Amino acid sequence: MLTQLLSLLEARENGLSLFEISRQMKAQPSAVQSMLNLLVQKGRLIEIGPDGKYCSTCGLESNCQLLAVHGKRYVSAAQFSKKDEAICLEANPAETVI
Amino acid sequence: MTMNLTSSSPLFRLDYGGKLEREIANLMEAFATHKLDATRYPSRWLAIKLLEADADIIEHVRTLPNGEKVIEIAKQSSEKLKSWLGDDVDMLIADRRYGFINGIVRQALKRPSMDRITLTDRIDDIVTHKWLGLPIFFTMMYIMFRLVIDVSAPFLDWTDTVINGPIARWFASLLDLVAAPGWMHALVVEAVIGGVGGVLVFVPGLLILYFFLALLEDTGYMSRAAFVMDRFMRVVGLHGKSFIPMILGFGCAVPAVYATRTIPSRRDRVLTALLVPLMSCSARLPVYVVFGLAFFGSSAGTVIWAMYALGILVAMLAGMVFTRTILKPDASSAFVLELPPYRAPAFKSVLIHMWENTREFVRKAGTVILFASLVMWVLLNLPWGVTNQRDSYFGRVSSMIAPVFAPLGFGDWQTGGALVTGFMAKEIVVSTMSQIYIGAEEVEEPAEPTTFLGDLSEIGVGFVDAAVNSGKILLSIIPGVNLMDEEAEEQDTVLSRALREHFTPLSAVALLIFVLLYVPCVATLGAIKHEFGTSWAVTSAVYQTAVAWIAAFIVYQGGLLLGLG
Repeated sequence: MLTQLLSLLEARENGLSLFEISRQMKAQPSAVQSMLNLLVQKGRLIEIGPDGKYCSTCGLESNCQLLAVHGKRYVSAAQFSKKDEAICLEANPAETVI
Repeated sequence: MTMNLTSSSPLFRLDYGGKLEREIANLMEAFATHKLDATRYPSRWLAIKLLEADADIIEHVRTLPNGEKVIEIAKQSSEKLKSWLGDDVDMLIADRRYGFINGIVRQALKRPSMDRITLTDRIDDIVTHKWLGLPIFFTMMYIMFRLVIDVSAPFLDWTDTVINGPIARWFASLLDLVAAPGWMHALVVEAVIGGVGGVLVFVPGLLILYFFLALLEDTGYMSRAAFVMDRFMRVVGLHGKSFIPMILGFGCAVPAVYATRTIPSRRDRVLTALLVPLMSCSARLPVYVVFGLAFFGSSAGTVIWAMYALGILVAMLAGMVFTRTILKPDASSAFVLELPPYRAPAFKSVLIHMWENTREFVRKAGTVILFASLVMWVLLNLPWGVTNQRDSYFGRVSSMIAPVFAPLGFGDWQTGGALVTGFMAKEIVVSTMSQIYIGAEEVEEPAEPTTFLGDLSEIGVGFVDAAVNSGKILLSIIPGVNLMDEEAEEQDTVLSRALREHFTPLSAVALLIFVLLYVPCVATLGAIKHEFGTSWAVTSAVYQTAVAWIAAFIVYQGGLLLGLG
C-alpha cells in the first residue's frame, strides 16, 4: 500500500489531496490519512497545508491564496525541489492584499 | 480479540515475506547465541523493532549484556534487506502491515452504498447547474457588493468625519504646540491627512468586503464559483484552470500571476497572466467607492458590481482575441477541481481572515501610500512658493499628459496626474485626488472650540450612530422591512463632494472603466516580467492601456451621442 501510494505521488508533479489519493487507491480517506501521516513523518512526502512542514516555515499560511484554492496537498519529497518551495513564497508576497 | 504478547508462539503472526522473515529468524537466533536477556518483550517483536531501528528499543537493548553485539547484527541485517528490497526496513514492514489491514478490510467490511444524495449534492445541483450556475454566481457577487457599499456607508462617513475632524484638529493643535512652521502644517494636513487619510477612509468597506469573501471561501462556495466559470471560460476558448488565478486576482494580481504556475502549459500561463490584471483587485475598490457614492448614491453598489462584471467580460473578450492571434491554443488538459463539502463557516477564522487582509491594506497605507503622498506633496509644492498647484512640477507634467484623456471626459490635469500616480498602486489615485482636490482646504473648525474629551465623545457617539444606521440598512435588505427614514441623508465623503465639481456622472463612469482596465500596477508588471519576461510585461501594460482608453472613449463619446452627458 505504501509503495503504491509513493509511486502514485511520484508520478504527480503537483501532488494530490487526500480525497484524490483515496479515490485513486480505492480506499477510505481515514485509512489513507494514517499512511500519509507515516510517510510525512518519515520524510518521504511533503505536506503542503496549514499544518504541513512547508507551511509551518512560511508564516503566511493563514493568508495563503494558493492554499485557499487548492486545499492541503501531498507531494513526493523526491519531486519537491527548492524551486517548488519558492512558488509559495513568491505567490504570497508581503503586499498580498486578499 | 485478544493476543498473547508474552508467549513465544503468539496466536497471530503476520508474515512479512521470505527475506524479511529469514532475517527476523536470524536475529532471534542471535538473541539465543549471545544469551540476550529478551524476556521483557516477545523475541519476535523485539527482532522486528531492532530491524526497524526503533530508537527506544535500541536504547533498551544497549543496556543488556551483549546488547551492542545484537544491535550490530540487526544493523547489518537491515542494510542487507535495504540493498535487496530497495527500501528502508521500517517502510517495508509498515507496507506489509497496511497491505494486510487493507486485505482484511476489503474482505470483512461492507460499506453503505455511496450513491445517497447529501445536502452538499443537493446544493451543488443548483449552484453548479448548467444554466443557473452563472446567474447565481453573479447574483451572489451583486448581493455582496450591495452589502459592502450599503452597510459600510455609515461607517465610511464616520471615518471620514473622524479623520478630517478630530484627528486633523489634534494634529494641528500638536503642531501649534511645538510652534511648527507653516510648511509643516501644510505637509501634515495635505500629505498625511489628505493623502493617507483619504485612503484609510475606506477601511470599513474593506473590512466588510473581506468578511464576505472569507465567508464565501469558508463555506466552500468559492470552489463552486471556479467550477461554474470554468465552463463559461471554455466557451470562449480559455483553459479551465485559468479561473483560479483569476479569482485570486479579485484580491491582488501579484499572487494571482504567480498562481498561474499551477497551469501546465506555458501558453495558458502567459494568457492567464495577461488576463488576471483585468480582474478588479481590491486596491481599485476605494476609487469605485468614492466615485460611486459621489455620483450614484444608493445605486453605488450596482455600479461597483458592474465594474467587476465588466472586468470579467473584457477578460473573456481579450482571451478570445489572444487565442485567435498571438496565443493559439495547444492541446487542452482536463480541469480537475475538488469541491469540498459545504460547511458552516468558523466565525473566528472569518474574523482572522478579515483582519489580516485589512491590516495589509492599512500597512500599505502607512508605507507605500504615505511615501507616495509625501513625494506628491513635494512635487505639488515645487518650485518652492508656488501658489497655483497647476504651476508646480507635478501640475506641469500632468498638464502635458491631460489632453490624452480629454476625449474620455476627464482631460483636467488633476485627473491625468492622479492616473499616472496610480501606476505605483491603484489606491494612490484616491490619495492623489484627495491631496489635489481637498488637501489645500483648511481643517474644518467647529463653531465652538472643542476639548479632547469632547472630541472623544463625538467619535464615540458617531460610531454608535453609524452602527445603528448600518444595522437598519442590513435589516432593510429583508423584503418588506424598511427601517430607513425616507429622507435619509446621503452618505458622503469630503472627496466625493469635491469630485462632483469636476466630473459628470458620465465622465465618472468613463474614469471608473479606465481605472478598471488601464496599465497594471508596478508590482503586477514586476511579477509578469519575473515569470514570463520583459516582452510580456510590456505587452500587458500596452494592451491594457489601449483597451482602457478605447473602452472609456466608447462609453463617454457614446454617452454624449445618446444625450447622457
